[in-house]
Amino acid sequence: MSRLSFAALVLATLGASFGPGPARADMDQAVRGVIIPAYAGFARAAAALNDEVTAQFDSSGTCNPEALRPAYNKAFDAWMSVSWLHFGPSEDEGRGLAIRFWPDPKGLGAKAQRALLIGDPANLQPEKFAVQSVAARGLTGLERLLYPGAEPEADPCPLIRATTTDMAALADALVQGWGESADAPGFARALLQPGSEAPGSEESPRYRNQTEALQALFTQLMGGLEFIADQRLGRPLGSDDKPRPERAEARASGRATRNISLELQSIRRLVAGLEPGAEATLQALDRAISEAGRLNEPQMAGVSDPARRKQILLLQRYVRAARATALSEMAPALGVGLGFNSQDGD
Amino acid sequence: MATRRGFLAGMASLTLPGLGWADVGSPAWLAAAKSGEDFVLHGLGPDGASLFSIPLPARGHAAAAHPSRPVAVAFARRPGTFALVLDCFTGAELHRLTPPEGRQFNGHGAWSRDGAVLMTSEVVAETSAGRIGLWEAETYARIGEWDSGGIGPHDIKLLADGSLVVANGGIATDPGDRTMLNIDTMRPNLARLSMQGELLEMAELEADLHQNSIRHLALVGGGVGFAMQWQGDLADPVPLLGRWTPGSAPQLFDADPAGILVMKGYAGSIAANGDQIAISSPRGGAVLVYGTDGTPLATHRRADVCGLAPLDGGFAASDGAGGLWQISGGRIAELPQRHSGIAWDNHMVTIG
Repeated sequence: MSRLSFAALVLATLGASFGPGPARADMDQAVRGVIIPAYAGFARAAAALNDEVTAQFDSSGTCNPEALRPAYNKAFDAWMSVSWLHFGPSEDEGRGLAIRFWPDPKGLGAKAQRALLIGDPANLQPEKFAVQSVAARGLTGLERLLYPGAEPEADPCPLIRATTTDMAALADALVQGWGESADAPGFARALLQPGSEAPGSEESPRYRNQTEALQALFTQLMGGLEFIADQRLGRPLGSDDKPRPERAEARASGRATRNISLELQSIRRLVAGLEPGAEATLQALDRAISEAGRLNEPQMAGVSDPARRKQILLLQRYVRAARATALSEMAPALGVGLGFNSQDGD
Repeated sequence: MATRRGFLAGMASLTLPGLGWADVGSPAWLAAAKSGEDFVLHGLGPDGASLFSIPLPARGHAAAAHPSRPVAVAFARRPGTFALVLDCFTGAELHRLTPPEGRQFNGHGAWSRDGAVLMTSEVVAETSAGRIGLWEAETYARIGEWDSGGIGPHDIKLLADGSLVVANGGIATDPGDRTMLNIDTMRPNLARLSMQGELLEMAELEADLHQNSIRHLALVGGGVGFAMQWQGDLADPVPLLGRWTPGSAPQLFDADPAGILVMKGYAGSIAANGDQIAISSPRGGAVLVYGTDGTPLATHRRADVCGLAPLDGGFAASDGAGGLWQISGGRIAELPQRHSGIAWDNHMVTIG
């Protein structure tokens, strides 16, 4: 056991002894104070991007992809606050995937998008576009259009407009899906009032009790940290003898480390809201956030350079340590764990 | 069997030869579970009520229900060194099956139609070469074995025509643990064997899906639905469900990324009912329901869900938090009889 993980364990034990139990968990703060505002922020940013595209079309009849990049990056930034939440409305109808489809090792997105770019313009109408492959849409699709590697085969502007319109609609659907209005009780209700059936629903409650709701949120937290370590960092890291910089995410827009930083900060906000006493977890996240902030790897090119690679590996270790600390500190405090079957397949 | 309990149980089954599943309350399913720190096998009614529970010495995986007698064979997890023949009337362990030297049970079994022979999926421990072990169902003596037609067989199912379909998962594992040894070269298949053990037919997947381990089966029409576990890049949206009718090529079901990525590359159980097939993913916390023609019909979310079986017009499902569910008409609702402090294991096995 390394010194750091030992320290984490000691801290975790101290933290857990304060007065454990799900009663301490602040689901209300997590949902109303962190998650819902984050979705609202993404919806605003997605709408602002779409408004800008519309304004360009209104004034010139076409668009200027390069001039859209700042609004695009703001929308991407906002998405990183909710990117790791794969439950509820973002999982329904593949919305989360439609907003951000990555990784895509087979290049499904580029293929599907090319068909849209050079195909029947009728497919760009909102209702038809909404049923196109999730791989072709959203932030991933826009990145290919706003940061093209080669001269586009056709005018990208109609497709850009279709994609920003679609993404703004997806963002609205997410906000609605979480919504708390009495006539449309959303996913927030499933988490905040677990075990009570939504009015008029013939289904059982999504979560039967508080433990299941906490378990669901904790699973997102674990999954988010795993995804950073194994995918956002792990894919480009490859193996020591075969680094894979071409596998880094958002290389064209140069967002590889920015995405990690923002996602770690978002996970930290959730932890601080849900379980402010989870001191060891917060410290472990802070260490990872600070390390991510030191990295300057917009394309993760450093995975192929021995010295820079070491720094990237260090960040990966810190992210994994944060996950381990959350598991040892928060899981007992929240009364949750990892799944019985999901951890042990056959 | 030398224990008094075993002796009495043996007597009971000898003196009451006419016992059937109705005498133990007509359970719909067998389901292994962890209850507190103990492992048990439950017989469950269609409302979710436990009609009996029998302690197991370790974590179970699947079971095989005798076609007429209230006898269950509970299989240990891979790599399995035992299978228990359980009298569901008395709860007694009638026999403890031990695979021959150098063989391991692989989690599933099936009975011959007349209930006279138990077939067990097994591997040669050193090589993971597949075998089907044969046991006669009176004294449970080992009476032979067949080549399963592949590496790492898992589920087996008897077709209506009397032949046996084997899901040869293709994965060679270390005999001491479950480390996978041949991911780069694995080639799963579906093999159909006669009741003499001859290989009648074999079906394989396309080369680019050779890492899709075929593991679980459900009877569909004159063939099987088969559920897979993807050992390649989990970011690849690959089919996890297919259908095989002997005499034709396997047909793979929809792998639209928006639907299939929810499963995290892993189908843990499969069940078929009428014109529907369902697969579950405990890793993704989801059940996908398809039409037998391959049309995706519904996605249901439930953390750690795995066990699946037919129920009424749809399916029953079980999860690791003790939940038992009914899926029908695009909805999922809890069964009336609830359980707490229990974690349902991978499978719900239909009786009869």
